[in-house]
Amino acid sequence: MNKATSSTISWIAQIGAVVIMGQSLFFKFTAHPESVAIFTDIGMEPNGRILIGVVELIACLLLLRPASAHYGALLGACTMGGAIVGHFTQIGWTGERGQLGLLAVLVFVFCAVILYIRRMDLPFIKVALDESKRRPARED
Amino acid sequence: MIGKISIDLHKVSKTVNLAIPTLAILFFLAGWKLSYYFHFGTIAFALLTLINFFYMRVQTGHALLRNFGLMGQARYMMESIGPELRQYFFANDTEEKPFNRTERSEVYRKAKGVDSATSFGSQHEFDAREVKVRHSMYPILKDQQIPYSLTFGSERGIENTYTIDKPFIISAMSYGALGEKAVRSLARGAKKAGIPMNTGEGGYPKYHLDEGCDLIFQMGTAKFGVRNDDGTLNDAKLSELVNKDSIKMIEIKLSQGAKPGKGGLLPKEKITDEIAELRGVPKGKDVISPPFHPECVGAQNTVQFIAHVQQVSGLPVGIKLCVGRPAQLEELIVEMVAQNTFPDWISVDGSEGGTGAAPKAFIDSVGMPLYPALKTVNDLLSKHGARDKLKLLAAGKLVSPERQMVAFCLGADAVYSARGFMLALGCIQALQCGNNTCPVGITTHDPELQRGIDIDVKSDRVSNYVHNLQHDLEELLSAAGCRSVQELSFDHLYIPSESTLAPYVTR
Ligand SMILES: Cc1cc2nc3c(=O)[nH]c(=O)nc-3n(C[C@H](O)[C@H](O)[C@H](O)COP(=O)(O)O)c2cc1C
Repeated sequence: MNKATSSTISWIAQIGAVVIMGQSLFFKFTAHPESVAIFTDIGMEPNGRILIGVVELIACLLLLRPASAHYGALLGACTMGGAIVGHFTQIGWTGERGQLGLLAVLVFVFCAVILYIRRMDLPFIKVALDESKRRPARED
Repeated sequence: MIGKISIDLHKVSKTVNLAIPTLAILFFLAGWKLSYYFHFGTIAFALLTLINFFYMRVQTGHALLRNFGLMGQARYMMESIGPELRQYFFANDTEEKPFNRTERSEVYRKAKGVDSATSFGSQHEFDAREVKVRHSMYPILKDQQIPYSLTFGSERGIENTYTIDKPFIISAMSYGALGEKAVRSLARGAKKAGIPMNTGEGGYPKYHLDEGCDLIFQMGTAKFGVRNDDGTLNDAKLSELVNKDSIKMIEIKLSQGAKPGKGGLLPKEKITDEIAELRGVPKGKDVISPPFHPECVGAQNTVQFIAHVQQVSGLPVGIKLCVGRPAQLEELIVEMVAQNTFPDWISVDGSEGGTGAAPKAFIDSVGMPLYPALKTVNDLLSKHGARDKLKLLAAGKLVSPERQMVAFCLGADAVYSARGFMLALGCIQALQCGNNTCPVGITTHDPELQRGIDIDVKSDRVSNYVHNLQHDLEELLSAAGCRSVQELSFDHLYIPSESTLAPYVTR
């Protein structure tokens, strides 16, 4: 995969993740009944709903800047991880909740793709990846 | 170790590596059965588990991480901040390299115009190998001194001679090694201080010319800015360049102290449109600076090449070199005498010299250190009756009045400094010149890092530094009972038998 293709794929995933997470924010911040119901089920209503909304908002903003997209993806993947855990335990997959759950899985996959493509930006990870390909420093 | 409390790092890391996934599971159970908020912990520890898995089972580059996982990383993290910790807390004031804290502070004080009086006593070692200046029993007053003046090119009687009235010059540092703001600060500071600046081998000196200080154009081995595609000299480009008023002299770089006998490589990623234009090189491929000029492959054609540049440019032309084998240098001088052609000056760069980036082996162990090299050059020139045919410049950690005095005693007519002026700009010796990450914005092209530099303030620092160096030099001269640096000689030095200069003492 050359640089241009991987960068395009990363951008598609970034936009995809931002659009899906972004529209869900609307439901969280306006206290949409389904959203309230879910957060009531997991015992986080109302503070948890706002808190998760804010975290997702930050993830969206980070995802939109190339220099911080990897952090946005990490945050996005973690929040979605939390959501997916919820669907498997208390929330369930029936009806509209199933759709929401699948969207969470989709965003998680997008974030994973971004993290993979941008792995050389990730602290703690890049150090352990192949260093021999680095170019020599300029000499003057 | 029996009976003592000790930490077994192997056991600690095994415990940690087991604890991380265990905690992930415990948090998951708590999140499920007690409060969903525990899942923040679930996710965090799941992530750590993944990273640990990656370290221990996937990556293969680091054995430490494979064996110990995240705990191994702790070592790398601590190690990575070691240089800072040592510089902040642990290193003694006189033990850092290349410049220790007392040397750096001295430059900072001079640059900021702060008094550098020191109390109680010296930090130096007296019965060791340090060279000292011998003062006179009959010091003179400062107003008895002869104002400094040095004219390059006078020996050849050319029309475009160049005169300096302070014995300090900013040594070669290319635009490329330095960022734009650093170049501008140095150039503006040079103008304020009334001293010339060497452009380094960065090609056409666009930003230097903008600031309007006097310039010594350096022609590196790749001849950036004045080259043909094969790396030989393009006479037309050179004549065009010397038409610029600010360009006063030309320096042919034969070698540099930090990496004598080694060229350089400009990786293609670093070649922006601007660099390609200024240096006169194509984009999209690495540019090699050869270790020597294609025109200079022996004493005879080196001297011919000097004559050629002198003739094409009409300006004073000098050569810069780091001394390797004195016999070869002597051959070159004999050839100069034979052809009756002399460069207008020789810059002797000591092997302790600095660079943006060079292989460690070269930085550490190739070439003669400045003091013995300078003494050798001076003696060889005198031996062949050539000392009064040219001027002698010196570079190599000459950042303080003490070292500069020694250089003058060894025969230098003026001194060059590169890193002294970097320190004056606020260099903190982070040792990252080649990485584009200079934290004070000097050797980087990153606009966010260069933001830290205020050109007006920094150029004042440069000129303060020069004025305070001059002040100290005059005081030292008076103490030595000399009216000018030309009156200083080898006899003005006290040289202990441990010094690199000891072999030159005739006892
Ligand atoms: C960042 C940097 C860049 C340099 N670039 C050049 C160069 O382009 N050409 C050159 O001849 N010397 C170059 N030098 C070497 C200096 O001109 C000088 O000879 C050497 O550093 C010794 O002086 P100092 O100890 O005062 O720094 C460079 C040095 C530094 C620190």
